[in-house]
Amino acid sequence: MASETRGATDAWSRARSWLDTPDGSLLGLCVASVAVAFGAGLLQVSFGAYSMTIVQAWQAVFDPKVWFSVQAWQSFFFGAELPELPKRTLIVWNIRMPRVIVAVLAGMCLAVSGAIFQAVTRNELASPFVLGVSSGAGLTVLLTLVLFSSLAPFLPLFAAIGGSIAFLLVYMIAWKGGTSPVRLVLAGVIVNMVFTSLQRGLFFFADDLGVVQSALAWITGSLTGVGWEEFRIAVIPTAAATVLALVGARQLNLLLLGEETASSLGMSVERVRFMLSAVAILAASTAISVAGIIGFFGLVVPHIVRLIVGSDYRRLIIGCVFVGPALMVVADVGARLALNPAQVPVGVVTGVVGGPYFLYLMRRQDQMGEI
Amino acid sequence: MSQNNSNSDGIATANDTAAGSQSGRRDRPLVGDDLVLSYSSADEPVVDGESISAEPGAVTALVGPNGSGKSTLLKGLANQLEPDAGSVLLDGQDIQTLETKAVARKLGLLSQESTSPNSISVEDLVYHGRYPHRGFFDNVTDEDEAAVERAIDLAGCGHIREREVGSLSGGQKQLAWIAMVLAQDTDVLLLDEPTTFLDLHHQLEVMEIIETLRDESDITIVVVLHDIEQAARLADRMVALKDGEIQARGRPDDVVTEQLLADVFEIEAEVSATPHGPRVNPIRARHDGDEHTVGEDSADSDRAEEVVAE
Repeated sequence: MASETRGATDAWSRARSWLDTPDGSLLGLCVASVAVAFGAGLLQVSFGAYSMTIVQAWQAVFDPKVWFSVQAWQSFFFGAELPELPKRTLIVWNIRMPRVIVAVLAGMCLAVSGAIFQAVTRNELASPFVLGVSSGAGLTVLLTLVLFSSLAPFLPLFAAIGGSIAFLLVYMIAWKGGTSPVRLVLAGVIVNMVFTSLQRGLFFFADDLGVVQSALAWITGSLTGVGWEEFRIAVIPTAAATVLALVGARQLNLLLLGEETASSLGMSVERVRFMLSAVAILAASTAISVAGIIGFFGLVVPHIVRLIVGSDYRRLIIGCVFVGPALMVVADVGARLALNPAQVPVGVVTGVVGGPYFLYLMRRQDQMGEI
Repeated sequence: MSQNNSNSDGIATANDTAAGSQSGRRDRPLVGDDLVLSYSSADEPVVDGESISAEPGAVTALVGPNGSGKSTLLKGLANQLEPDAGSVLLDGQDIQTLETKAVARKLGLLSQESTSPNSISVEDLVYHGRYPHRGFFDNVTDEDEAAVERAIDLAGCGHIREREVGSLSGGQKQLAWIAMVLAQDTDVLLLDEPTTFLDLHHQLEVMEIIETLRDESDITIVVVLHDIEQAARLADRMVALKDGEIQARGRPDDVVTEQLLADVFEIEAEVSATPHGPRVNPIRARHDGDEHTVGEDSADSDRAEEVVAE
């Protein structure tokens, strides 16, 4: 009996100590993230203007009429006609569920993008927002919405182009025989300022108030009203960027050792850095094209993950792939349900929560800048 | 003593190497040929047309005062700084024409200041040394593992292999970085001031590693050292630089002289021979208007003053 309990405690302490190892903490983090994402997702599909109980929501989520209907899946993935469904199932599957799933994709993209940018610039303060990618992508998104609305299906492409241009500008301004964390941030501030002004200027060319309102939602970052169409836009680029980031994790690790060491180990630093930046821009642009500019997310999430699993990018990227979606779904629950029936853009929530949290991180660490 | 001999048997000149580039693959592992090296931030080249050849299977030490261009020369040899003119030959092949990973399989470089994330473990750091041997998707092979074990063993950092690099002392960090370049498993190893900023214990530890490498493998080592006595003790060949020009080269006994210390380092010092190589006893710094006190041969010391005046 006694030995049995001792065996159990041993096993427990072994499990505890294993949880303290990097791989253990990573697994714990992933499991916790999935649980949080599911919990928040369930809240999100259960509550809203059309109220139903949690049990009813579960029943709708697991409605076999959807799960075993080829036509339903075709409609989600390829935009075909929806089959006939009960009202609750329709609301859950056609209105609330896609919002959760798009939040998952956007969270994944922004977290991965921020993580890559932080390694490529070896700068803890880097993020798609700081490096100008967000404002560049936002500007082209606005341009498309306001002036060339017929080109809306190509939004991710335009967002990526705008993001790339802004990033290159920031890099060029910061470059002086190499870059430093502070110079990159400063260059980012400048480019952000210019692009944000241009975005504001575009409002005056909008024809009606509706366009202005949707443009405003873009700039603050909002998941209101996203549906399966946004899912279809984002799913492939998200998958591609995530896989490429995971594959590139070893290169990212080497970049963290500094340019000189990486190149003396035989890496073509400039080329690798360029390609990884392209992946990060793709990820950020994907998120921006479906959800607008969600601030602070790409900056804060990699930090949180780094605190828990360490700076090894093989683990960090995996952590971001799980934590990013979980936090985004939670943030969107807050955005949609906290002030029910009024909704705020999710970017407001991430800014309001993420800003102070980042401040806390900054105060806690003696030094911030280089990874 | 073979004083006349010291130049030719020490460091080969560029002319020697150009002739025998094919036959001399093994005996000319690394040659810098008429190198002109400069940084984009400065107009004047730091090194202006110098040739240097690493002694195969031995330790060549580059010495010189601050700003003499020794680290720059090392960077040029390591292909980290593209020469404005001249070329670097690795195993007889122009290093610029080789693929970067192929270079990294033959030539390792430990820079003066290396940065790494604090939370990386020593073992993970050492595994980075295997980068040039691994393809994009390759997993760790037995060969990688063996090389890492060997490197950790040789650098004597087995006891800290699980520790995070951020928690190590400066000396332990340096040992970890040395293990990383050793895991690279190269024929040529370039070390940029590996002992600077270390306490005596770790300085000796690093020197012992280099000695072991020389004695137990045929690896060719070029090392920049700040401390001339240390260099004399460690190196088989020495190259002394001042203002980007090679002032002397040869065996430590021939290079480390009172005259050279006056010319190159601008110090007045006594040099005495010991079983561990020449011993330098610095007396005072020389200044531009100083009366020369070194050597009794007036012709010699006149020359010294000329160099100082430049």
